[in-house]
Order: sequence, then structure tokens, then C-alpha cells
Amino acid sequence: MLNPSVVPARSFLYRELQKRGAALGEVNGYGCAMRIGSDAAAEDAQARSLGLCDLTPLKRIGFKGWATAEWLIGQGATLEDAPNRVYPQDDGARIARLSKGEFVILGDLHLRSTLPDRLGIAWSINNASGCFRVPREDASAWLCLSGEHAGAMFAKVCGIDMRPQHFANNQIAQTSLARMNAIIMRNDRGATLAFDLVFDLASAVYLWNALLDAMTEFDGKPVGLEAVRGLG
Amino acid sequence: MKIINCPLNGPRNAQEFVHGGEFVAMPDPHRTSDSDWAGFVFLENNTAGVVREWWCHVPTAYWFIAERDTIKDEFIRTFDPSEIFRERVEFTRPEATKS
Repeated sequence: MLNPSVVPARSFLYRELQKRGAALGEVNGYGCAMRIGSDAAAEDAQARSLGLCDLTPLKRIGFKGWATAEWLIGQGATLEDAPNRVYPQDDGARIARLSKGEFVILGDLHLRSTLPDRLGIAWSINNASGCFRVPREDASAWLCLSGEHAGAMFAKVCGIDMRPQHFANNQIAQTSLARMNAIIMRNDRGATLAFDLVFDLASAVYLWNALLDAMTEFDGKPVGLEAVRGLG
Repeated sequence: MKIINCPLNGPRNAQEFVHGGEFVAMPDPHRTSDSDWAGFVFLENNTAGVVREWWCHVPTAYWFIAERDTIKDEFIRTFDPSEIFRERVEFTRPEATKS
């Protein structure tokens, strides 16, 4: 098992994950919870029922400004005009359009997409007029809530109806989640209902525990990255 | 629960919004008197009836304009500021004055 002190970075949640028996592995320079507990098959089933996974170690990047959409399209991104929508890219990355001029780009679970890195290298204040960096990788935590009970569980912590028949895949709600501001994106993984949650990094431990508390009613538990990768 | 219709995010709980004061046209800061500028910055008309106000949806930090009936406390219409502000408001440096 990886000792978290030997990797360059750790999620704010690593102590919470260790308490629950997480086996850490190095992902993107982070100590990342790959598996939680010893029964991988049970953990995979948990992710399909109701699981919460820390994706903070994965790649993400943000931009905002009146000319951001044009700049992203110029870099090869595929997106449309409607805000509060997620636009999946060919290489597995997802571009979340939060408003006319604000975007979050989420990398894929296997770190195959080069889009977040390419955008970070291509951008500079001098060559992207009207487009500014938002330090999502340093300021925002990222969790994935997956499983058939996820829609019902949200009713306990969020005012928006997240049940799958009311909240479409790739739809975004920027709203109050357990009394915190959060971006909730429905990004189904394979045939499994799944939501990506992006929110203030400094409050990661609070929201992690608040969600696990709300998930108890549905027998929800934390899961590792491999379980979410297995959803497809 | 009171619901406010955000132009960007749709109908949301009023707890997600903050009031940003009355919407009034900004006088030219270099041509208006100190008294009128102080009135623009600090004073509110406190109109009883239909008013235009700035509101912010906090989770998205999105500012918009609402028409609200202050007697009935009802929102009549909410809309994006781009309906009024067609282009960026630039602030110019005041001309130097000799003392």
C-alpha cells in the first residue's frame, strides 16, 4: 500500500479515506484511493447501488471570460451555446459550460485525455484575450456520486429534483448542496446513474461526511477509483 | 419556500439569492456633482410599487436584473443584464485639473 507521505500531493480527504481502509495508489502525483476494503466485487456492486468516490486527484482546469468559448473552440474543443450543460469530448474529457463565459474541463478517469494539460500549456494571459484561468485544480474538490439510489439521496441535501426522469444526463445544476455551493453534473458512467460534484476544496471533509451521513439511509458507502472506472 | 426564477439557472429557492440594491442608471462620474454621485452610491428611492433591482444567484455568482412589485413582494420578470448593457462600460481617467 502506498505511503501517502511519499507522493507530492494528497487530497484533503486522504485521512478520511485511510480511516475507512483505503488502499492508496499514485494517480497524477496524488495518493489516490484505488480500493476501499478488501472485497472488490462488493465494492463494484456498491458503486452501482450508491457509492461516493474522491476524484480530486484527477485532472481538471477552469477558464472564464467573455471570449472563452471562442478560445476553447480554437483549441479544438467541441461545445454548443446552451449553458448548464456538459459537452463530452471525443477523448473522454468533459467540458462543463457553467454560463455564457465560464467553463470547467474535467479529465477522464484513466488520465487518457490530454485536453486539460494541452489547454493549460496553450493558455497565457497574453495570447488569450478575454479568457482567464480559474484554478480549479487548486481550488475545487471533485467527488463522484454513483448508483441507482443517487437521485433519491439528493432529496435529503439539495432542493433540485435529481431523479433521472427529471434531471437529464449531461445537465448541470449549480445550487446549494448540504448548505454549500456546489456544481452538480449528471455524467452517467456506462449504464449507471452518476453525478460529478465540484465544490470548494477547503470544505471537502465537511461535504464528504455530510454526504456519507445522508447516504446511510440507502446503505451508501465510499468506493475507490477502480470501482468507478469499472462502471464504464 | 419562496422561489425566484434565475435567468441562468431557472427556478431556485430564494435562499440561494442576495439582493443587490435598486437598479439605477449610473451618472458620468466625471461630470456629475459630488452630491449626485453620493446619491447614486448611497441612497435608495425605496419606491412602493414596481421597481428594478440587482439580484445575485450566489452559487454561480451570477448577477441579473429583476422587476419586482415591492407592495405585493412578487417578482414580475427577471432578465440578463445584457438586455440593457450592450457593451462593456469603460471608465476613463478624469482630465487633470489645475489647482
